Amino acid sequence: MTTSLWREHILPFTALLMALAVAALLGDFFLHRLDLVWVGRYLGIPGILLIVVSLVYSLRKRKLITTGSPKSLLTFHEFTAWLGSLMVLIHSGIHFNAILPWLATIAMGVNVISGLVGKLLLDRSRRHVQGERERYQLRGLSRPEVEQAVFWDAVSLDAMTQWRKVHIPIFIAFAVLATGHIVSIFLFWGWV
Amino acid sequence: MSRILKFLLAANLIALTVLVFVYPHLMVGPGKLIPGHRQLASDCFACHTAFFGADSGRCLTCHKPDEIGRLTTAGRPIAKPLTAVAFHQKLSSQECVACHSDHAGVRRYRQSGHFNHALLQSAMREACQSCHKAPNDALHQQISGNCSQCHTQEKWTPATFNHDRHFKLDRDHDTRCVTCHTANDYSRYTCYGCHEHTPANIRREHIEEGIRKFDNCVECHRSGNKHDIRGGEGGEGRGKREHDD
Repeated sequence: MTTSLWREHILPFTALLMALAVAALLGDFFLHRLDLVWVGRYLGIPGILLIVVSLVYSLRKRKLITTGSPKSLLTFHEFTAWLGSLMVLIHSGIHFNAILPWLATIAMGVNVISGLVGKLLLDRSRRHVQGERERYQLRGLSRPEVEQAVFWDAVSLDAMTQWRKVHIPIFIAFAVLATGHIVSIFLFWGWV
Repeated sequence: MSRILKFLLAANLIALTVLVFVYPHLMVGPGKLIPGHRQLASDCFACHTAFFGADSGRCLTCHKPDEIGRLTTAGRPIAKPLTAVAFHQKLSSQECVACHSDHAGVRRYRQSGHFNHALLQSAMREACQSCHKAPNDALHQQISGNCSQCHTQEKWTPATFNHDRHFKLDRDHDTRCVTCHTANDYSRYTCYGCHEHTPANIRREHIEEGIRKFDNCVECHRSGNKHDIRGGEGGEGRGKREHDD
């Protein structure tokens, strides 16, 4: 793999993912420090609502709704899903109690990663690999030699393409697990 | 999404659903139950009413209010009670879940050893010393009861009373509380409890200055500093009755 693919594409992706993790840890830290841990208990509600609202883009993409600019809705989807995920991560905190909500959190994490792969890596990496191919061809390399030269980049690209395919199934898993968690809270918690 | 992927997804979610019903305490329970309730771990509805949470009424089927703190649920005397005083009998209502959480994950959000004193019967609320020991310091040894004059029932410290707001206790007034507050009544005071101030010399000094109303000292004097004097017209203060006596 050439260093440029790592530096220009994978590094920003890692940085954005790390920003989510660091923001979640900082949020949890300050809630504990300010004796506001109870706030974290309720952050799951706005968090999941933001994630639900972010699905407007998915409805638009599948033409279930026809209004709204797809590009703007994609930006909205990315922002609300990222922020909602941050809230849910803080809500999860560092406490391990029940398995179901943690499976939901893990599914959400995988979903965020696959979403970021789609946003930051896939298109740019595809363009990058194609550019590399064209550059090697211009330098007079034969087709097998070009494929040899871009081998690791192509492997990375294939892996990313697979990640993209994960986004929808893992979202369904997250939706079912999160619904199970929410139903169990309604069933067992005294809201009144 | 391929058919195989759909199948795998559905199979996993069905398996998880089955696990939720077989092992609810592990899958959805917010942490372990207290040791005494361990046998109820997988029987959520032994304590919970659907959509209304843990039900205090269900606690009372095993824990008789008259016996709490005295006898176990099996009727045997408790050798080492958790509290020095069996105060559950003095609660105005039996709202167990207002203080108790059985799951470890929920208990984390509660301060252990604290409860809302408003849950006590009103007579019991005023009888602090029936549950709490008076502090051993010199200040509190002079006082018996009536804690609410200086402390709230939310927390003991900080005390709500700031003496400096009424009178600054400088080095000339660093004395025992009972010198000024007699009969264990801290809502009143007298300035004639020491040798420095007598009704006669105070009267003389004030008459010389043309002051005729001097029965409520702290209305004008907020400290022992002679230059820190505020003009006062009323004189109908807390100290009035003490001086009238």
